[in-house]
Amino acid sequence: MDIFFDNPMLTGVRQMLGAFAKQYIRAVATKHDREESMPWALMKQAQAFGMTQTAVVDGRKALTGKDDEDGAGKPKSQSRLGVVGSEELAYGCAGVCLAIGGSGLAASPVARMGTEEQKQEFRRLLKGDDEHGHIKVAAMALSEPSTGSDISGLSTTARIDGDHYVINGHKQWITNGQSAAAYVVWAQTDPAAGRAGVRGFLVARGTPGLIPGRKEHKLGIRASETAQVHFEDCRVHKDMMLGIGASSEGLADTKKMLDSTRPMVGAQAVGIARAAFDYLVERVAGGTMAGTPLAHHQRVAFELAEMEMEIQAARALVHKAAWMADHGQDNVRMASIAKAYGAKVAQSVTARALTLLGEEALEPDHPVEKWYRDAKIYDIFEGTGQIQRRIIARSIFGVNPT
Amino acid sequence: MDFALDDDQALIAQTVRRFVDKEVRAWAGDADRAAEAPTKLATVAAELGFLVDAVPEAAGGLLDGAYPHLTRALRGYELGRGCSAMAALLECNVEPALAVARWGSAAAQAELFASLTAGGYATTGRDSRGALKVTADGDDVRVTGKIGPLPALARASHVLVCAQLDGAPIVLLIATAGERITAQAPSAWRAAAWATLTVEHTRVPASHVVARGAAGAEATIAIGAWARASLAARATGVAVAAMEHARHYATERIQFGQPIGRFESIIGLADDADTSTAAARLMALHAAWACDRARDPASLALAADLASRARVLAGDAVRKATIDAVQIFGGYGFVNDYPVEKLMRDARPYEQLLGDERFDRILATSRSEH
Repeated sequence: MDIFFDNPMLTGVRQMLGAFAKQYIRAVATKHDREESMPWALMKQAQAFGMTQTAVVDGRKALTGKDDEDGAGKPKSQSRLGVVGSEELAYGCAGVCLAIGGSGLAASPVARMGTEEQKQEFRRLLKGDDEHGHIKVAAMALSEPSTGSDISGLSTTARIDGDHYVINGHKQWITNGQSAAAYVVWAQTDPAAGRAGVRGFLVARGTPGLIPGRKEHKLGIRASETAQVHFEDCRVHKDMMLGIGASSEGLADTKKMLDSTRPMVGAQAVGIARAAFDYLVERVAGGTMAGTPLAHHQRVAFELAEMEMEIQAARALVHKAAWMADHGQDNVRMASIAKAYGAKVAQSVTARALTLLGEEALEPDHPVEKWYRDAKIYDIFEGTGQIQRRIIARSIFGVNPT
Repeated sequence: MDFALDDDQALIAQTVRRFVDKEVRAWAGDADRAAEAPTKLATVAAELGFLVDAVPEAAGGLLDGAYPHLTRALRGYELGRGCSAMAALLECNVEPALAVARWGSAAAQAELFASLTAGGYATTGRDSRGALKVTADGDDVRVTGKIGPLPALARASHVLVCAQLDGAPIVLLIATAGERITAQAPSAWRAAAWATLTVEHTRVPASHVVARGAAGAEATIAIGAWARASLAARATGVAVAAMEHARHYATERIQFGQPIGRFESIIGLADDADTSTAAARLMALHAAWACDRARDPASLALAADLASRARVLAGDAVRKATIDAVQIFGGYGFVNDYPVEKLMRDARPYEQLLGDERFDRILATSRSEH
């Protein structure tokens, strides 16, 4: 029992997913990294373990039995559960973790703002297998070619036409963008309204005008699919607009969503760092240098001590950010701190691990080299390191530094 | 003290720079994806005098007099700006040619130079992991174990190996014909024809034991110095290229109403990279300059020390600059439509090849002061 794992649910999730990561994820991680392929078989297996693609939408009902647990139209936060699970899955492979959990990005706004009908539709679209026998996944389409860090410049439009919205635009870096059965796309419904006019739409695969685009070849997290998605006069019924009526705050909805997932993203980065650390510990335990066990050399042992300090600190921040969310506290600053610091530690630990391993880590498919490539995205996606620092600085000074 | 280049050095640096800007950069992406350098590389390399530049003129090469390591560092820096994999292929023949010319037997020289002048490749490895067991067999030696992964080994006719025999340094020239070569495509320098060589009780004839005893120690130090000075120069080129790309991108990418290159945090990343690459470049050139002046054990030791520290400094600089260049590119930095994710992968071997000399120095010092 410790301050992080003070209830059996968290301990249970850690044990179960930790075992799943070691036994099943590690077994296929190299293959999917090399082939840049989605781990469909493993995703199906994960589903059987309870990691369903609609978990975020279902979880709310399953865990609380009703929609508005705290009476404010928001789901009860399960942030600590999320960070514990995320760290374990990413410990196996961050790419596989994102493949298993990628649908959550789309499920989150549906759970948060969707009507019962929209949730039903989301579940319906993700039910069963597709024509390849793969489980169905969802994609959240927010970023655009010219709109990365600064999401206020969204250029995708949704124009009302009778009972439908007509969506036009291009989306970039979309997780599951090529394979998704359901998309949540963010578009401007009222250019005059600016940020307040932005809405999310639930769009089914196969809807005319929804065109899954090119898949990206990436530096890391290669088991997770990233693709462009194009919308060309794509007609979506107005009932599929999320946050109908007063329940939407426009673009601010997406920011809240990102705030809520940040601790989990930070936890994944911690998982990568811990993977590299454990690899080194095992390697050092069996090694000698100049006739002395490696662990007796300060050059090696102190480096690992330093890594352990950083990993423990990063995990503590992640858990604190999640704990605040679970207790209804404003965690915007702490979520950014946890995410940014986790990313920093993951990059730094994996880079130093490669340096320590030296020539042996030049072997193809070396796991630490893969983790080094995987770690980099944590300083980029879900708000870059610069954006996190901007948020933290704004929370200190009240202004956006340039 | 004079930091200016002489006419030859300036001409070579300029010529290689033009070749890199016009050709190498254009080929780099495809070569990386295909894990193979274009065949025209060898043609251009021959025109520009690569590959046989360290082979004596008398043996059909281009070397007349002492080998100019400083010029090599200048050209290595330019090559690093283009593509690490192609740079490795163009530079790999130097150490084997120089070592065999200096310490090798006539038979080893004849064999290696015939291969190199016919368009062949050779490469160099250091058994930093103790993965190679070398035993004496009369004047011959026998080797068992694994060499590599090394760049250029997949197409090399010979590999120069720095190893140990009974705790003393020994340098061997191993012909790869008939031996077990396993080609590999790691994520760094993908087009560099990486491979491992697995040997089992393989006989290296006395004629191919390039150096042993006192000569073995001297050769090991010299080869390490040459190789590390070259790695440091190339690494610095990679770091500079990463920030060239990132700076250009930062002037075009608009977020929050201005080019991202106007945000102080982004300016700071590029500015720090400039500081570290300026230092790394000077140190690499200094190490190469010292290699040119290594005439006795003391000056050789100085060259080796400078080269080792230059490589450490350049390794740090290239790691940080490439990671930060990817950061400046953001999401585009992570996908291979843009050049910087390749540079981040390519940064790694500069730090990892030839073992960890920081650790070596620490060990040596801690032992000597016991």
